[in-house]
Amino acid sequence: MTSDAPATDNRPFAIRTYAPAQLREALRRMYLIRRFEEGAEDSYMRGLIHGTMHLSIGQEASAMATCMELTDADKITSTHRGHGHCIAKGADVGRMFAEFFGKETGYCHGRGGSMHIADVRTGNLGANGIVGGGLPIAVGAALTAKRLGRDDVTVCFFGDGANNEGAFHEALNMASVWKLPVIFVCENNGYGMSTAVTRSTAVRHIADRASAYSMPGITVDGNDFSAVAEAVHAAIVRARAGDGPSLVENVTYRWRGHSKSDRNRYRTKEEIEEWMTRDPIARFRSELIAHGILDEAAADAVAAEAMAEVEAGIAFAKSSPAPAIGDVTRYVYAEN
Amino acid sequence: MNAMTETGLRVLSYSEAIREAMAIAMENDPTVILMGEDIGVYGGAFQVTLDLVDRFGPDRVMDTPISELGGAGVAVGAALTGLKPIYEFQFSDFAMLAMEQIVNQAAKLRYMLGGEASVPVVFRLPAGSGTGAAAQHSQSIEAWFGHVPGLKVLQPATPEDAKGMLLSALADPDPVMIFEHKLLYKMKGHVPEGSYLTPIGKALVRRSGTDLTIVAGSIMVHRALEAAERLAAEGISAEVIDLRSIRPIDAETILASVRKTGRLMVVYEGVKAFGVGAEISAMVAESDAFDHLDAPILRLGAADAPVPYNPDLERAAVPQVETIEAAARRLARREV
Amino acid sequence: MPVEVILPKVDMDMSHGKLATWHVAEGETVAKGAPLFDIETDKAAMEVESPASGRLLSVTAQPGDMVAVGTVVALIYAEGETVAETPIQTTAAPEPEAPVAKTVEPVPTATAHPAAIPQADPAVAPGLRATPAARAAARASGITLEEVPGTGPRGRIQRDDVAAFLAHRVEAPALASPGAGAWSAQPGPLHVSSRKGTGVPLVLIHGFTADSQSWAPLEKALGADRPLIRIDLPGHGRSPRRRLGSFAELARMVVEALDDVTRGHDKVDLLGHSLGGALALAAADIRARRIRSLALIAPAGLGPEIDAQALTGITRATRAESLAPWLRRLTATPDGISDDYARAAMRLRADPALRAFQAELAEILFPDGVQPFDLRPALSRLEIPTAILWGRSDHILPWRQALSITGDFALHLLADAGHVPQLECPDRVARILVRHLLM
Repeated sequence: MTSDAPATDNRPFAIRTYAPAQLREALRRMYLIRRFEEGAEDSYMRGLIHGTMHLSIGQEASAMATCMELTDADKITSTHRGHGHCIAKGADVGRMFAEFFGKETGYCHGRGGSMHIADVRTGNLGANGIVGGGLPIAVGAALTAKRLGRDDVTVCFFGDGANNEGAFHEALNMASVWKLPVIFVCENNGYGMSTAVTRSTAVRHIADRASAYSMPGITVDGNDFSAVAEAVHAAIVRARAGDGPSLVENVTYRWRGHSKSDRNRYRTKEEIEEWMTRDPIARFRSELIAHGILDEAAADAVAAEAMAEVEAGIAFAKSSPAPAIGDVTRYVYAEN
Repeated sequence: MNAMTETGLRVLSYSEAIREAMAIAMENDPTVILMGEDIGVYGGAFQVTLDLVDRFGPDRVMDTPISELGGAGVAVGAALTGLKPIYEFQFSDFAMLAMEQIVNQAAKLRYMLGGEASVPVVFRLPAGSGTGAAAQHSQSIEAWFGHVPGLKVLQPATPEDAKGMLLSALADPDPVMIFEHKLLYKMKGHVPEGSYLTPIGKALVRRSGTDLTIVAGSIMVHRALEAAERLAAEGISAEVIDLRSIRPIDAETILASVRKTGRLMVVYEGVKAFGVGAEISAMVAESDAFDHLDAPILRLGAADAPVPYNPDLERAAVPQVETIEAAARRLARREV
Repeated sequence: MPVEVILPKVDMDMSHGKLATWHVAEGETVAKGAPLFDIETDKAAMEVESPASGRLLSVTAQPGDMVAVGTVVALIYAEGETVAETPIQTTAAPEPEAPVAKTVEPVPTATAHPAAIPQADPAVAPGLRATPAARAAARASGITLEEVPGTGPRGRIQRDDVAAFLAHRVEAPALASPGAGAWSAQPGPLHVSSRKGTGVPLVLIHGFTADSQSWAPLEKALGADRPLIRIDLPGHGRSPRRRLGSFAELARMVVEALDDVTRGHDKVDLLGHSLGGALALAAADIRARRIRSLALIAPAGLGPEIDAQALTGITRATRAESLAPWLRRLTATPDGISDDYARAAMRLRADPALRAFQAELAEILFPDGVQPFDLRPALSRLEIPTAILWGRSDHILPWRQALSITGDFALHLLADAGHVPQLECPDRVARILVRHLLM
């Protein structure tokens, strides 16, 4: 990180804050997320993936920019739309695909699948199938850091739907009362399944909820990598300083339906197409090229790298062994 | 219990034993913290944590807001990341507010994450009727949690077990729920000094007998023992098994006893239907001990009603010494 | 369901009885406890009371018929109860064309608690009821449960029923070995039977290895006026095998039973034989105010000596041939016990659990072949009229023990009588008792 840029620097926060290699890696991971989601969708249609899944295509900037400054010691809690968070936090797509394919080599040994994808080694405490389920857990993780005197922070991803769960309010209140190092990151993609935020939520911006719990709240363009990175950066600084939690709302959009069973009756084609013109990856890529971080050829190479990684990951997953049927109760308790 | 003092053995109350266990654990392990409503200077609704805040400070004896879902979830998150929290529900009834975190999160995280994570949280839950606290503060819902793989569910009946089980629960890498009967808090009994572990999942034959087996948990153990003593005067020899742990359940001890006596009665304070008795009855019926049954299995549980307020109704709603005695007599005399 | 009327065993060595006369004609109504029919054996004649109230139907035995004990000789239908097309058959029922039944052994439960059988309970599904343990036991011994009478609620067959069935079915005692040496405790109060009459009831307590039915000859000799109450000791007759550890515990059980049966009476007379004599003495000591007079025949507890070999021999015998020599010690002269008698007695002892229980009881009551309990002080405390009857040729308990006692009592020494004068010379015993009891 190079935050020693002059005050007159008018370049976007990310460009002036992170090293070119970091930015290139961020772009690579955003491509990786996009290609991963597309690969998962393709595998799903080929019948390789059991059950359903929730794709985050269109939300890559929110995931990646939020995780930009996190180390493996920092924790995240994720949501049912959590593939992007997992990759942004540093997971291996091969093991993720293996998990989706229900294989023993998957991150959860085939027990969790898409909705519980996790990588504890990189600090990802797991996606959660329960809306709002990760909020109190994130506060608990932050409590651990504070209690043990570590300067780790916890980022709690949640969607706009979760802001109406009781757990959201209880968690934000406790985090604030105890001044815990947690950053609540709301990915507001406009819909809780089919219900528009405007129909479900009394406040105009979800970040407005922050004032009720005496913490900073900010709403940013979630498809603007730099805007997200800047907002989360401020929250992390505050958290590491012991000043307590923050709420960051990333306004974004999912290109795909809620899940694979969504028939898209609640959104217009025009609305979706309009949001697709605001592709966060294309936007970040142009920004990097415009600021001379890389050129078109280098950007294409990054995209190709991501594509190759996804293809290798799918091949790895396909060739991996399934769990033994007799092991159905394995991992229920530590002793088995 | 005077007999015990005459023998020179140390005597503590059930709540003192629990407090001692918590103090020992906190002395020995800085990651152990207490959380709960009014557990600090107030000492907890039943005074179990009395004075601990003076010894260990408010950072380790944390008063939480009245937010059971959030509080339990914070404990789960803290456990997931390196602390060993003991979360006290003020009444076990309030665990229903936190079902999501207990059942969907604490119990399942290890499995969902393929064994890559542990949730060593301990929930303490004051339970049971007999205090005139009526329908929402007197329930015995331990069987609900017996249905959840991933949890361990304990019911100590004596001060010695209350301490040993709490220490065992803390040593266990998985979530443990300890249901403490409110009427037992003042009960006195011998409690060994220092740290010791009461095995989890091991029932105890508290009284040997040959004519019938009575399996009971928590306060019902004492009622069953008194009934057995009265029956002995009539020549009826009842074996009384203290279940101690609902999950895991000690099938072997129960089945061995049924093979011996051929007659089984299960006594529990939860509502009779779909309870501990159903599980044990079915377990016996499915086992080789079935062929040793010489009478129908009897279940004595709570009436099919919420716990009533009127003291006579309240007493009548759950098994008492007289009802246990009468049912056991009928079973032993082949009248069932 | 109609209540079965069976031909009961009324005498020690009885396998058959002659139905002498019916007091109630077929089709008539009868009240529970009213005289129903008379039976005769070579030793006794007895009136049998009706086990239930209702209409007498399905009479299968006529006056003069020889009938195996335990055979259903009639059914009593409750008022309004539908009469079955064909009488209910039981294993002990004789073939209609063969009124003299084949040798079918009595099953002690054939009269099984008729009161416990609900009349036409719609909730009771037809078909056989048996516990898993009973089914397992039946499988293991290769019998079909249809043969086994159930004594549990609604006729349910329990493990004990199978054991009892096996014990009584087995002809060759050697085959009775499954379970030999082992017994399981049974709960419940001691079994008490009674005979109605007028006046002060006489309570009878039998001796070790005997049962209430051993009083039959004496009862006949005493006449039919007095009400009688007979107590079966634990593990004897129809009493449950109760676990006990000492004479004192046994005495407490007997006193409990006595309290139960004498509740409706101001005072009773008490008669006990041998171990039953010791128990009667103990009971009289404990319940002095409830006892009008006490009579003891060859009572135990008045000295340490006892013929322990005979006790062991009786409890250990598994066949009539080995039982007979010990039985012959009971009487003044060996010819008092016929081989038939020994066989009948052995059949009553066929249940290995009963033998195991009694063997263990002998060890508890008479350890190392002595009588450790001493009731001489109790006797000296008694203030009620007390008579002791003792055979001069008693080989089990020496009558001279009576001479070492202090206290006021009458001692009747019976010439040519052994340890069981009530069986050997019931008329002489009855005469003494009648005088003593002011009957």
